[in-house]
Amino acid sequence: MKVLVIEDEPALQTAIRQYLEQQGYICETAPDFPQAMAKVNDYDYDCIVADIGLPQGNGLDIIKELKALESEAGIIIISAKDSLEDKLSGLDLGADDYLTKPFHLSELNARINAILRRKHFDGNTNIHFNEIRIAPGSKAVFVKDTPLTLTSKEYQLLLYFIANQRRVVTKTALAGHLWGDAYDQAGSYDFIYSHIKNLRRKLLEAGGEDYIKTIYGTGYRWSDQ
Amino acid sequence: MVPATAGLINKPGCMRPMKLLTQTTIYFLLLVLPLLTISTFYLFSQFNKEIGHEIDEELLNDQIQWLRYMDTVSIHSPVFQLSTPEFSLQPVTRPAQAKPVLESVMLYQDIEGKKTPYRQLTQVLSIHNNSYLLTIRKSLIERDDLIKNIFIVMLIVFGGLLIFILLLNRMLSKRLWRPFYQSLEKLHGIELKKMESVSFTPSSIKEFNQLHTALTAMITRIHADYKSIKELTEDAAHEMQTPLAIAESKLELLLQDETLSDAQLHAIAQSSEALERLARLNHSLLLLAKIENHQYDTSQPESLQHVTKQYLGLLDELIKDKKLTLETQLTHDTSWQMPAALADMLISNLVGNAIRYNYTGGKIRLQLDDQQFSISNTSSWPAIPQQQLFQRFKKGGAVLDSSNGLGLAIVKKICDTYNLPISYYFENGVHTFTISRFSTNSKPSFAA
Repeated sequence: MKVLVIEDEPALQTAIRQYLEQQGYICETAPDFPQAMAKVNDYDYDCIVADIGLPQGNGLDIIKELKALESEAGIIIISAKDSLEDKLSGLDLGADDYLTKPFHLSELNARINAILRRKHFDGNTNIHFNEIRIAPGSKAVFVKDTPLTLTSKEYQLLLYFIANQRRVVTKTALAGHLWGDAYDQAGSYDFIYSHIKNLRRKLLEAGGEDYIKTIYGTGYRWSDQ
Repeated sequence: MVPATAGLINKPGCMRPMKLLTQTTIYFLLLVLPLLTISTFYLFSQFNKEIGHEIDEELLNDQIQWLRYMDTVSIHSPVFQLSTPEFSLQPVTRPAQAKPVLESVMLYQDIEGKKTPYRQLTQVLSIHNNSYLLTIRKSLIERDDLIKNIFIVMLIVFGGLLIFILLLNRMLSKRLWRPFYQSLEKLHGIELKKMESVSFTPSSIKEFNQLHTALTAMITRIHADYKSIKELTEDAAHEMQTPLAIAESKLELLLQDETLSDAQLHAIAQSSEALERLARLNHSLLLLAKIENHQYDTSQPESLQHVTKQYLGLLDELIKDKKLTLETQLTHDTSWQMPAALADMLISNLVGNAIRYNYTGGKIRLQLDDQQFSISNTSSWPAIPQQQLFQRFKKGGAVLDSSNGLGLAIVKKICDTYNLPISYYFENGVHTFTISRFSTNSKPSFAA
């Protein structure tokens, strides 16, 4: 899977590229508008992560160009401007998602994952992780063909973990993913724990392995190692 | 802005403001009424004098006629004695007078049964060496009637003229002031975001065109200021969020280093959380600035009831986690609406606070109808002192880790922007916030 990261801040660009490469993507970068336009015109990408505020241009124009080229690529806008107008015009132009900076790399990765799944496999291809099989179309989860009954939050957790497999995912990233901005109001992230406990129990009861490792005070890692 | 000016005009002791047309009409009346009264009285006295003069002349004329007649008649009959109300001739022993005496008298009249005014002429005459007192009278009743009639006709004429002038004045003023009222209406409907598109129709009145030029210049300036503030807040957001994004992403990458110990990972996670708090704080401060500058999108009104339900759903886990009892009274068909972004902030902050500052096993009561939104929660926290209730970074004397101390400030700012009165009270360990939909003295300035 090829991803193009259009971001003018070198440090942020590197961080995104490193994280995505760790997750197995082939990652290319463009630091400004002309280079981004050149790459978009010359190569095909599966997903494009584009900053709106770019040197010598606007990220929104890149979306227009992509649409003019009838590109199939998924598009995620990342912007430091928390501006509703930008968000709406971006989505109107055909972007698939919008993330406001700062964001968790694990969140960006999960969103890229979801878009690619929707775009390229019509959401019908199963996701496998060892003995676990997820059918995203029907939101059904199986452990060695035993169906699991998960709540919607547990299902989202499982997808998030598998998308960010073998990476440390912080509690705040998980909370932000599951509850959006509302988690700001929580005052604590303890409530995540019970969802993880339930997910782990259900997987174990169906005969699965325990892949969720707790990292004290920090978060969790989904790992089979 | 609008309430401020209204307050200025409504200063206690000042007269209630009137429409310009009413005021000009009143001034016109004040000026014209005494003028009309004075001229009526002047006319009346002039007529009075003229008619009096006329009657005196008639009396003198009569007297001459009588003298002539008596001169010819009296030779044959030496003594006269005549007496009617209008005319009398009586012999007297006084010496003759050279000139007649004219005076006004009141005499009793049998037919009318009362005294009526007369003008009379008296003179002692000497006819063939006999002295006679000649008295000629004319009733003034007719003259009084005449003057009365003149007075009434004058009143009718003047009254008609007055009404005509008033109507004409009103009509003309309405016509002349029409461009002004049109411009006023335009100013009322003005929106910060769409200010630049406002234009005034040129009128044939110089002053109005001057006003339009001044207003256009002012609007252009305000719009430019608005735009530069908007850009500043957005640029500030960009400049602050970008370094935060870099730091956070680097820390997240660092977390993936498998050679780190748990303690090191924990330290990184804590730094990351602190950065997130900083990002949220920055976000909230910008939000406050945006609300203050009216920079939010008002195009998408959202039902308050819908937003409340949405947040109760989103925060359901937290409510269950704290074993809180939720009591809701949401009237289903409320028409209360607000721009989506503001409704979100308002409800999430109030509901969030009610959960956050609650104790395990506590209660939340939520009520929403067409008149007010009210939320109360139990808490082990003491009452918030009124003077620091809605102040930024004041957290009732204590600090909650995850709080940025801006929640209530944002709530207050939204309420102020909308002219929604918000009140707080504390009783028996229960904190209650109530937002009324309509303020008591004015309608909400906002029409969403």
